[in-house]
Amino acid sequence: MSDELDRIRREMHSVLQPEGVRPDDSLKITRRTFIHGSLVFGAATVGQAFAWWPLLNTLDIAHAAEAPFKFAWISDTHLYPRSLNTRFVDKVVRAAQEVQAMDPPADFLIFGGDLAQLGKIEELELGVDLLKEIKIPKHYIPGEHDWYLDMGKKWGELFGQPNWTFDHKGVRFIGLDTVSRGPDYWTAKNMTPEERMGHMATLDGTVAGPWAGVGRDQLDWMEKTLADWDKTRPVVIFSHNPLYEYYPPWNFWVRDWREVHEVLKPFAKVTNIHGHVHQVLYNEIGTLRSIGMLATSWPWPYAPEGLPKLTKPMIRVDPGDPYDGVGWEKIDVAATDEVDVEYIMWGRKEVFVQSPEDHDKNVSEIIRPRIADNMWPY
Amino acid sequence: MTIKPSFRSLLRRSAAAGSIALAAVLVGPASAHKDPVSPEQLKIYQEAFMEEVRKGDLLFHGDQATADAMGVGTSLSKTGMACAMCHPMASDTHPQSFPKFQAQMAKFATLRDMINWCIEKPNQGEKIDPESEAMKALEAYITWSNTGSVLQPGKF
Ligand SMILES: [Fe+2]
Ligand SMILES: [Fe+2]
Repeated sequence: MSDELDRIRREMHSVLQPEGVRPDDSLKITRRTFIHGSLVFGAATVGQAFAWWPLLNTLDIAHAAEAPFKFAWISDTHLYPRSLNTRFVDKVVRAAQEVQAMDPPADFLIFGGDLAQLGKIEELELGVDLLKEIKIPKHYIPGEHDWYLDMGKKWGELFGQPNWTFDHKGVRFIGLDTVSRGPDYWTAKNMTPEERMGHMATLDGTVAGPWAGVGRDQLDWMEKTLADWDKTRPVVIFSHNPLYEYYPPWNFWVRDWREVHEVLKPFAKVTNIHGHVHQVLYNEIGTLRSIGMLATSWPWPYAPEGLPKLTKPMIRVDPGDPYDGVGWEKIDVAATDEVDVEYIMWGRKEVFVQSPEDHDKNVSEIIRPRIADNMWPY
Repeated sequence: MTIKPSFRSLLRRSAAAGSIALAAVLVGPASAHKDPVSPEQLKIYQEAFMEEVRKGDLLFHGDQATADAMGVGTSLSKTGMACAMCHPMASDTHPQSFPKFQAQMAKFATLRDMINWCIEKPNQGEKIDPESEAMKALEAYITWSNTGSVLQPGKF
């Protein structure tokens, strides 16, 4: 990790993970950082992390809407061609059937990116095909796995603009593209499109670098999009990557997260729903609440550091069960001023840890970045 | 120069331990004619280790050319799944917790047993020889990546 990334990460941690004290109000970022009232300040032990959360599968995030409605989220299906991997296909089929069977039906589906594993036409088209089972309106944002084989060409043909906005029953929804603005790591090294995609598709790779970002142009677009919106009305933002800094080495962030929060600061009720992390995740920054979604393909472990204290961790999964630790989400927007996210984690009644032993970090570990992708052949 | 007195004091302190230490001292002189380890030798040893780490890293991340070269090209995975897809930076491999009773296998298991289990179940591949070069390379990468983790054998 570069010194710059390290510095930024430390800065974020100093705000989100204070050691025993409330953050100093004189710090610029601190003023935007609202810490949940019931949070116990101090060292983040596994025990503390789960002790204060209600043992429910539903997250309660109070925001208003004109009329109650539901929508659904599926992301990170990471489809290979059907001939190579049928498990991933089966899980998309199951998610699609379950979304379609919702009663009352969801108003729309958000697909949160990483439809394909290696950005192939065959993979993206397979995804479109499988999601045809879902008849409600569908909105797509891209993931890095969808993009870096042909730089979004096929994705654009299938789904159009990667960033978009619409209003629905008193809520402004915004879809962001957090993947297409990666710094060019391929030209100087004369990479083939497949090599470029291969580095991008490796979460712990060191070659693609800090690719996740919103970009100045899109920030301006977002600011313009929100200019006419009542600052007390709810805003829901969909992004592939989380809009704060969790763990940059895996691009569990956007590198310009601070600029994002500058744009969102005037709005009282902002919810960010994101994919990419393949895990249960919850954080609050300023007035923004951020919720991480499950993949259908496989779960990522929690990062070795930087897990927000406000996250009640998901249960340690059984790697022998392809349906464990994965699934999709129902999002309920109620007239009683609430947005509830319900994790549909297949094969689990309890989504969250019930004891420290249920946490994947129960065995403490110190790990370090890989080296081989920098040593050879590049 | 400073080693001899410490051995002697060890011998003086405990007669029982002394006989073991004495045995070690007696074995010692057989190699006494050899030279102390040189920086060049240390470099070679370290490079030999890091070469295993490098190969293991590539196997762990699904590099087909390395898998083919090491004779495991068709066994490590048949579904496009690679170890690193669930274990970025070899996290959650927990080499420091082995050997232990492994719930998924319902038996007392080593890290190599666990690697083979992952090859068979999530990757839907075929077990590899636990003594093979590929297995040793995977073990090298996983343990290297967890450098600094504290031994917790048996920990769930
Ligand atoms: Fe993903
Ligand atoms: Fe992703």
